[in-house]
Amino acid sequence: MTRAGLLRAGAFIAAGIAFPLVFSAAWLVNIGVLTLMYAALAVAWNLFSGYSGYISLGQVAFFGLGAYSLGITFEHFGIGSGYNPFYALPLVGAGVALASLPVAWIALRTRHMTFAIVTLTLLFVVQQLAFNLHSITHGSSGLEVPPPTFSADTYDQPFYYAMLGIVVLGLGVCWTVLRSKLGLMLLAIREDEEKARGLGVRVTGAKLIAWWLSIWLTAMVGGVWAYYLTFIYPESSVDPLVMIGAVLMTFLGGRGTLWGPVIGALVLVPAQQYMIIHLGGSQLYLVGYAAVFMVVLLLLPRGILPSLRDLIVRLRERQRTRGRPIARQRAAT
Amino acid sequence: MHNVVQAVILGVLIGGVYALMASGLTLVFGIMKVINVAQGALVILAAYLSYALFSHLHVDPFLSILIVTPAMFVLGVAVQLVFVRSLRGPDSQELSLLVTWALALGIEGVLSVVFKTTYRATNPSYADKTWTVFGYQLSFVRLMAFIASAVLLALLSLLLTRTKFGRAVRATVQNPTAATLLGVDANRVQTLSFGLGVSMAAAAGAVYGVIYPFNPGSHYDLISRLLSIVVLGGLGSLGGAVVAALVMGVTEAVVAVEWAPTWAAFSYFVVLIVFLLVRPQGIFGLRERTL
Amino acid sequence: MTRTLARVAALATVAALALAAASAGRAASGPIKIGISLSLSGDFSDSGKAAERGYKLWQKLVNAKGGILGRQVQLSIQDDTSSPTQAQSNYQTFITKDKVDLVFGPFSTLLTAPSAVVAHRYGYAFIEPAGGGPAVFQEKLNNVFFTQPAPVLQSGDVFAKFILSLPASERPRSAAYPSLDDPFSSPIADHVRGILSKKGVKTLYTTIYPSETTDMGPVIQKVASKHPDAVIGGTQNDDAYAQVKAMIQQKFSPRFLFLTNGPNDPAEFPSKVGAKNVNGIFSTGDWFPQEHSYGNAAFVKAYIKAYGGTINTIDPTAAEAYAAGQLLEAVAKKTHSIDNKTIISALHKGTWRTVEGNLRWNSIGEPQGSDLLVEWINGKLYPVFPKSVALHKPLVPKPAWGK
Repeated sequence: MTRAGLLRAGAFIAAGIAFPLVFSAAWLVNIGVLTLMYAALAVAWNLFSGYSGYISLGQVAFFGLGAYSLGITFEHFGIGSGYNPFYALPLVGAGVALASLPVAWIALRTRHMTFAIVTLTLLFVVQQLAFNLHSITHGSSGLEVPPPTFSADTYDQPFYYAMLGIVVLGLGVCWTVLRSKLGLMLLAIREDEEKARGLGVRVTGAKLIAWWLSIWLTAMVGGVWAYYLTFIYPESSVDPLVMIGAVLMTFLGGRGTLWGPVIGALVLVPAQQYMIIHLGGSQLYLVGYAAVFMVVLLLLPRGILPSLRDLIVRLRERQRTRGRPIARQRAAT
Repeated sequence: MHNVVQAVILGVLIGGVYALMASGLTLVFGIMKVINVAQGALVILAAYLSYALFSHLHVDPFLSILIVTPAMFVLGVAVQLVFVRSLRGPDSQELSLLVTWALALGIEGVLSVVFKTTYRATNPSYADKTWTVFGYQLSFVRLMAFIASAVLLALLSLLLTRTKFGRAVRATVQNPTAATLLGVDANRVQTLSFGLGVSMAAAAGAVYGVIYPFNPGSHYDLISRLLSIVVLGGLGSLGGAVVAALVMGVTEAVVAVEWAPTWAAFSYFVVLIVFLLVRPQGIFGLRERTL
Repeated sequence: MTRTLARVAALATVAALALAAASAGRAASGPIKIGISLSLSGDFSDSGKAAERGYKLWQKLVNAKGGILGRQVQLSIQDDTSSPTQAQSNYQTFITKDKVDLVFGPFSTLLTAPSAVVAHRYGYAFIEPAGGGPAVFQEKLNNVFFTQPAPVLQSGDVFAKFILSLPASERPRSAAYPSLDDPFSSPIADHVRGILSKKGVKTLYTTIYPSETTDMGPVIQKVASKHPDAVIGGTQNDDAYAQVKAMIQQKFSPRFLFLTNGPNDPAEFPSKVGAKNVNGIFSTGDWFPQEHSYGNAAFVKAYIKAYGGTINTIDPTAAEAYAAGQLLEAVAKKTHSIDNKTIISALHKGTWRTVEGNLRWNSIGEPQGSDLLVEWINGKLYPVFPKSVALHKPLVPKPAWGK
């Protein structure tokens, strides 16, 4: 890891840890929880869809599954309250990710556009299951998770740190993958899958591993959310708008980059809250949201980070070639 | 047995309407490799337009097809020119997916502001008329909607096979480069086809509102159905979309009657997943080439 | 030196006392801030806006009378886009950032359940007009007060009681129960079925259909094929209309038809199913425009004056919200305080009069009364049971379609 990268990571973690201690008002920590939730979802989405090039539109289905799994673990396994559910999260997430593999395998046999659509239908399938499997999910009445007895003043902090932990974990996983053989395989797949397959790259295996990691993180986020809200309903746990938000944030920040999704979340979540406060009552909230979405996709299709990087490279180039006599410039090119 | 046959009839009738909506979706994909996620929202928009024409000007919903379809054709052309065409680059397909989703959200938002979120339904005087044929109930509006859809699909098919424009479209689907070499204006074909796809949705939307109540949020359910239909049928295949739509209509109706209504929609998705296991390209889809 | 010190000390004490008195006086005369999260956009926006109208109307009327305890009421209404996550955030903001004095509940059980938990955490009373599903009462919170006569789950019981009040020969012998998959629909029908099946009304068919079902054809086909005497459906508005239309299309007319929602809308129902088809259909409601409940006439008059429309176009959600305000007014009048603890302990004792009827609750916020049974007779909607609130004699059995 470069020194700059290490500094960036350290600064982010330090700022993340300090935030609720400095800005301890519950409503601010609440916004922090939401921001980190979206950041984690964006990082997880980017891990699969950003690196492999396969746009998955079903991510929020696994967010919901993670939420329900945690709720069911509460009900049927008597996990206890307090901090225990947080410790159970990685296992719950792993279980959901494992269960998703067969479906992913079938979906990944199709090509990009079909894959996107099939993952989208997954969303509705999971929502239907949540409605229909009454004995497990309580259907439309919802699943209740007993609220923990954290003190009222710092109630939101454990959830905040849990989300922060998942974001850091996600970033760590992304960084490791990028630097590993898996990362190279994914990039090769994104470039030209047939060629990669021809060269002997284990295409299906690579995609499945990236998928598993992405779902593991997503399900954990769903679990924390379920514990935070204490009520899990089919409509709210599998909400397309949540996923579109995470996708938008990834695009805004820069798909396929490491920090892009986080930056996207840091920009968009407060902006979202702002829009709700000021545009909410008039139903224009949805239109405003769609407009932002459109602007980002049409004007900044590569996202903030890559565009910034390009800008910096261009500026450096200009600086480098400035002041040199033309003859030498020509020789340099 | 009587229940099953009645359900099949219901399923076929509604499948026809879905086929009309899905035809536009699969056509646009075949030509531009763009998935128009806003197709559901455009259907709902057309339903609202037809509803407004009926409530304020007492235009019969089936006649409103003649007004709504050309209007939405123009809208479709405008959308393609403004939003879709400007997408360039290697990511354009995925970007178009998200751009059209944003468009769908925007349409939902505007409809919510104008019409509020109460469910509406266009209620002409013949809305409840049913004929009893051989002991089976045939709803008049559903039958009319089916006939309208069948006629429009036949017209679409004729357009694609018998006209110069249609030939240009099919050439662009099969091999865009060759088509351009042969003098086909790819841009024009794409724009006009997008408009055509939207106008199919518009016609279906006009009659949809007579059969089902709808509100701005109804497009989610619709688009998930339409997407599954085109995937099952094979992306880009018109015939596939029709067959898949009928399969969906019948599966859901039969499951609702014979098993439980709550599993009706789910059962269709099971059919889809199982089919994709065996044949990932759908019923009539082509194995996607990498070029 | 000492004398100066003493004088300074005296002055300081007087100043401190004066300041204390002044700030106490300021606190007692500043506006009362009430935080309310409402669904002004998204799926619940129509009802959220109706609740907003009810709250604002109450605010206008109570401030015109001098406010509560001499203080003007200020409503802080925030949109939650029909999302429970956002509703939870909103109440957190109200309580910890805006430091409101009180909060009222949002629209729907979906949003009320998590919001009530937040309010409970900070010791706030949670008077809520629209969260009556079991999820709200499951957590056994003592700060919740649902401002309707009965918990939603029991809103259909009044129909069962009516059936059992008929002589045995007139009752239905069998029933079918087609219901919407929704916490307010199928459980209500189940509850009614529990009562009626034990008293000799045979259950021929029960089914639950998903909430996106717009095609009731297959479901009603199945129901009709069993030839039940009574059809008892747990419904919301649109599936109710669809059920009736399907029955008309399939030429099936049961002797008793009870739908939990849909027919209880005096303005919309005739136009949705055909004005000639409404007679004899039963429904239930927590509020009826012509009801003789406390302050109802004044509420209706003020509502029409402020928002237009007719008496039949008033959304009950507005009345439910208005009732919440009435409760606050009444508690403040009785206890001379708007302290949350005081409100909570006061509302748990006795009966409180509102436009929704006379309300009282058990320890976890469940109201202990009964909703109204309404029926369409001669093209108009009337409450017909219990006798104490009935404005017309009930009509049984249901006439054929079009009569």
